[in-house]
Amino acid sequence: MTVLTMRAIGKSFPGVRALDGVSLTVAEGEVVALLGENGAGKSTLMNILAGVFKDYEGEIEIGGQVAHIHSPKDARRHGVAMIHQELNLVPELSITDNIFLGRERTILDRKSTEARSAELLRGLGLDLSPRRLIKQCKIAERQLIEVAKALSQNVRVLVMDEPTSALADAEVRRLYAVIRDLTARGVAVIYISHRLEELEEIADRVVVLRDGTYVGERSEVDRDELIQMMVGRPLGEMFPRADGGGAGKELLKVEGLSVPGEPGTGRTPLREVSLSVRAGEIVGVAGLMGAGRSELLETIFGVHRPAAGSMSLGGRTYRPRSPKGAIRRGVALVAEDRKAQSLVLGNTIAFNAGLPSLRRFLRFGMVDARSEQAAVERQVNELRVKASGTRFTVGNLSGGNQQKVVLAKWLLTSPSLILMDEPTRGIDVGAKAEIHALMSSLAAGGKGVLVASSELPELLAMCDRILVLCEGRITAEFSREEHPTQEAILEAAMARQKVTTL
Amino acid sequence: MTTKTAPPTPAKPPGENRLRRTFSALGAAQAYIGLVLILAVGIATKGDIFLNETNLTNAVGAFASRGILAVGVTLVILTGGIDLSVGSLLGIASMTAAMMLSKHSLEPWQIVPICMVVGAFFGFLNGAGTAWLRIQSFVMTLAMLSVVRGLDRQVSDNVSVGTQIAGPDGKLTPQAEAFQLFGTPGHNLFDRIYYPVLAFIVVCVVFHLILTKTRFGRHVYAVGGNPTAARLSGVNVTAITIAVFTLSGMLAGFAGPIDAAYSASADPQAGQSYELDAIAAAVIGGASLAGGKGTIAGTFVGALILTLLDNVLGLNAVSDNWQLVIKGLIVVVAVVLQRPDLFKFFRGGSRS
Amino acid sequence: MKKAITIALCAVLAAACASKAPGPSTSADGGEKKKFVVGYSQSNNAEPYRAQLNLQLQHFMTKYPDIELLPIADAKQSSATQVSQVQNFITQKVDALIVSPTEPAPLTAAVEQACQAKIPVIILDRTVNTDCYTAFIGGDNVLIGKKAGEEAVKLLPDGGNVVELRGIMSNQPQIDRDKGFREAIAANPKIKIIADREGKWLKEQATPIMQQWLAQHEKIDLVYGHNDPMALGAYLAAQAAGKAEQITFIGIDGLAIPDGGIRAVQLGQLSATFIYPTGAEEAAETVNKILHGHQVDKNQVLGTTQVTKDNAAELYKKYDLSGQG
Repeated sequence: MTVLTMRAIGKSFPGVRALDGVSLTVAEGEVVALLGENGAGKSTLMNILAGVFKDYEGEIEIGGQVAHIHSPKDARRHGVAMIHQELNLVPELSITDNIFLGRERTILDRKSTEARSAELLRGLGLDLSPRRLIKQCKIAERQLIEVAKALSQNVRVLVMDEPTSALADAEVRRLYAVIRDLTARGVAVIYISHRLEELEEIADRVVVLRDGTYVGERSEVDRDELIQMMVGRPLGEMFPRADGGGAGKELLKVEGLSVPGEPGTGRTPLREVSLSVRAGEIVGVAGLMGAGRSELLETIFGVHRPAAGSMSLGGRTYRPRSPKGAIRRGVALVAEDRKAQSLVLGNTIAFNAGLPSLRRFLRFGMVDARSEQAAVERQVNELRVKASGTRFTVGNLSGGNQQKVVLAKWLLTSPSLILMDEPTRGIDVGAKAEIHALMSSLAAGGKGVLVASSELPELLAMCDRILVLCEGRITAEFSREEHPTQEAILEAAMARQKVTTL
Repeated sequence: MTTKTAPPTPAKPPGENRLRRTFSALGAAQAYIGLVLILAVGIATKGDIFLNETNLTNAVGAFASRGILAVGVTLVILTGGIDLSVGSLLGIASMTAAMMLSKHSLEPWQIVPICMVVGAFFGFLNGAGTAWLRIQSFVMTLAMLSVVRGLDRQVSDNVSVGTQIAGPDGKLTPQAEAFQLFGTPGHNLFDRIYYPVLAFIVVCVVFHLILTKTRFGRHVYAVGGNPTAARLSGVNVTAITIAVFTLSGMLAGFAGPIDAAYSASADPQAGQSYELDAIAAAVIGGASLAGGKGTIAGTFVGALILTLLDNVLGLNAVSDNWQLVIKGLIVVVAVVLQRPDLFKFFRGGSRS
Repeated sequence: MKKAITIALCAVLAAACASKAPGPSTSADGGEKKKFVVGYSQSNNAEPYRAQLNLQLQHFMTKYPDIELLPIADAKQSSATQVSQVQNFITQKVDALIVSPTEPAPLTAAVEQACQAKIPVIILDRTVNTDCYTAFIGGDNVLIGKKAGEEAVKLLPDGGNVVELRGIMSNQPQIDRDKGFREAIAANPKIKIIADREGKWLKEQATPIMQQWLAQHEKIDLVYGHNDPMALGAYLAAQAAGKAEQITFIGIDGLAIPDGGIRAVQLGQLSATFIYPTGAEEAAETVNKILHGHQVDKNQVLGTTQVTKDNAAELYKKYDLSGQG
């Protein structure tokens, strides 16, 4: 039975037609995937359903009756819940307080609400105290807490915007199980994702949007066809790096690196990590959430002080005291969370792109704005950032373009070693391919690339070697010639992993 | 698809973009509206009495020391901090100046650097407390406000110290005579230029250039906009934080002699609540207390708005009580004008 | 780090305490001759007038060797602070208590407590809303305002335009000094107050106000400042505009400090000021009498002295304590 019908939905922003006459129906217990490049209108459509926008054109029916949804409260009343890509949790409150935020009884009954949230968490396979503060939870955990929050309400339609972007594969499995459980109970799920391989597994139907309009839908997932529908042109090979190319001299050598953890922030300790990256080589770092991937890259970038071990870069001792020192030695880090760690969102493309390399443009102690501008423009154009100019505010760019600005910023420092943490998270297929192509060309140009990713197909396609981390230890290393499988990598990633945590 | 409000391919007419660029370089355009309005009201109600060199010089001169404080406070606000101690720092610097003059007969050109060092010292402590001890700047500078005021009162024995010091012949000593050029009303440089006004403008120009043209300036904006991103981009966040507080203190020290000369004496209470005027000027000029947003040009305009408003109201003999009401309202209006999104909210548009 | 801060803080505390007189030392040492202990709670040390009062009180107390004045407690303009200070003195069982209240109402209860504890209380300068005290000593601001007004009438026999710089509007001295002045100038209807504004007792507030008045008004003949700093702030503005010679300036307070009103009269900047008596000498005398069982007047209203060019030097010498106490 049809539970949701959206009819001829349209929405304009100043100067842009974001959606035009899009219709969508979803049946009870069905999983419909929305697919489209960045800016195709998926989030706009779902935000209308969730009541984020007050004004729009068209009509929404829920359970056969017209539903006037003009505020998040309306949406909640009609049984629509949405898990946003940017998680909406209050860091200083506990898990329970977040789940029931805005729906607390006047007099708080701690015991029963905590019992209820503990039950919800268990249902999602999360072994966390309901009293734990959100800020102490990892991103994957927060994602699942958002799911718990949605489930705590009486949902008929659950919208998930990129729910797996921060999850490792094992966690994704857990989420799928939850989704199947929900659909069995008759809940309709609308699922937005960039990961085509996921849709194959979870979606009953895939609806494709492009430039704010409906393109078509398929019940069978045919990768190439869907990609073609999304981008409007055949994309060719998705991961362009077919061959490893010749690796050069050893660039980075890490020996016995240990970093103490930090209990307050949930930072994973590193235990005697040794690795090397050669010039012209792409080395992957795989692992589940909390395996220490980000910690490893950050330590190489001088963010954390190692307690033991040594590093050398280009044959010389390398002991960075701060990111500043790392940058001076030609190291760059494309951080995991581009909004929180990489960009000053309120400022311009030029400001962000020039920030770490200002030294290059100094003349008589002043920044030579003209030469800076020229260099930034060249780099930004080379990466095909879509914006009206370098004075455009970064916060208003799409995710893919923001990531390109981050890359431009680091390329301007002319690094010899580039560390990348989830470089393609939350980015549409087109931009993803461009970033992969960039990685290949960087390696071909003799740079060393160390990339951490939770997407195994990406690592398998791009990397010359893959290191697997588990609880801060390297548990396996695979070279391209070994043709490792996802299963083999996962097994290494879960070696010595306690069964209780996911 | 990560941002909801962003157009997929942003394309603005180039003309509009250039216009916005010019304005963003010179501060919030809305602040100018306020300034123009106040000038218009002044001219309409008082004509030549308002619009003449003497009156305008007097008005700007009376606010100059607070304006200089506002520049320092703007630096701190840009990094996402706040400096409540500048009024006290100005107080102790003005006391230092008066004592150097009366007890040690130092030349004015010796007094200014000494006062700047005194101010910078306390400013450095503010920065060190904020950056190293991780004390919130509001708390740290609130404490400094109290500590420095106490020291000021202790060294002065709660007695104001005059700067018009007569020698044995009954005339002002040469040092005291020269000190008057720092701003005692009626004493001008080269017979025409009133030093407080000149000093305020020069400070604004210098710090405008520092913020827009130097690496340090960029780093200040980066620290305020996103400290994590700044650190990961190689910015020494600790050093920048300490530097802005030190500079803010140094500017307060620089303004001290001006304040002493203006009243021809250093009062142990001098500068009290000046920090609020300084913050108001920065905020009216478009600075965001969240950090990363604001300009010196905006602060300059904000300072002009505050002092000219005071002047226009005074010339029109508006009662003191209503002046307070009007000044408070102006701050709110100015801040609302900076926020086009608020208008959108009132029009019922979407904010996501 | 924390330890270092604690140590530093202790050092500062110790230094601050050491700079004051040692705590109450009662009759324990000698035994034969009783030493009286007196506490004084001052409303705000930071006003030059009160700083002067403190100095004078400490000076005049040294005349009575059997009386020890405890370190002066500064209420810093806060009634709550002052109440607890008074209560502290009561707990310490001082032999006499001097209070300069910040405001009448909040201090009334505390003064009554002292009274019930049988501690003689001398109210200095400002009033409280109870009769339960031993003596009140203070100046008469209405009288001083009146004297200033009479001086204005004398200076402007043909009438003229007066501007008035007021203290903080809600302060009692401001209200009284305004009242007395207006009563006195009513004697000559041709004298008009053409403008008045709140200068908050501050010099730097008065200067821009005077600048605005000079721009607005063609003719200003006399400036009446509720205290000397405001009158002097106006003088600076007039001097800058080249009009200082045509205008006369009258202030109040007449402090004998280098930056004070008596010097300003000597220099010809003010044509007159009126000494607002500190009452320190009278307070010391009264305390001595009370402690030795003599009768004192319950209400001692002090007069004022007009400072003119003729008597300025002499008065300065009389009240200047910088070399002594």
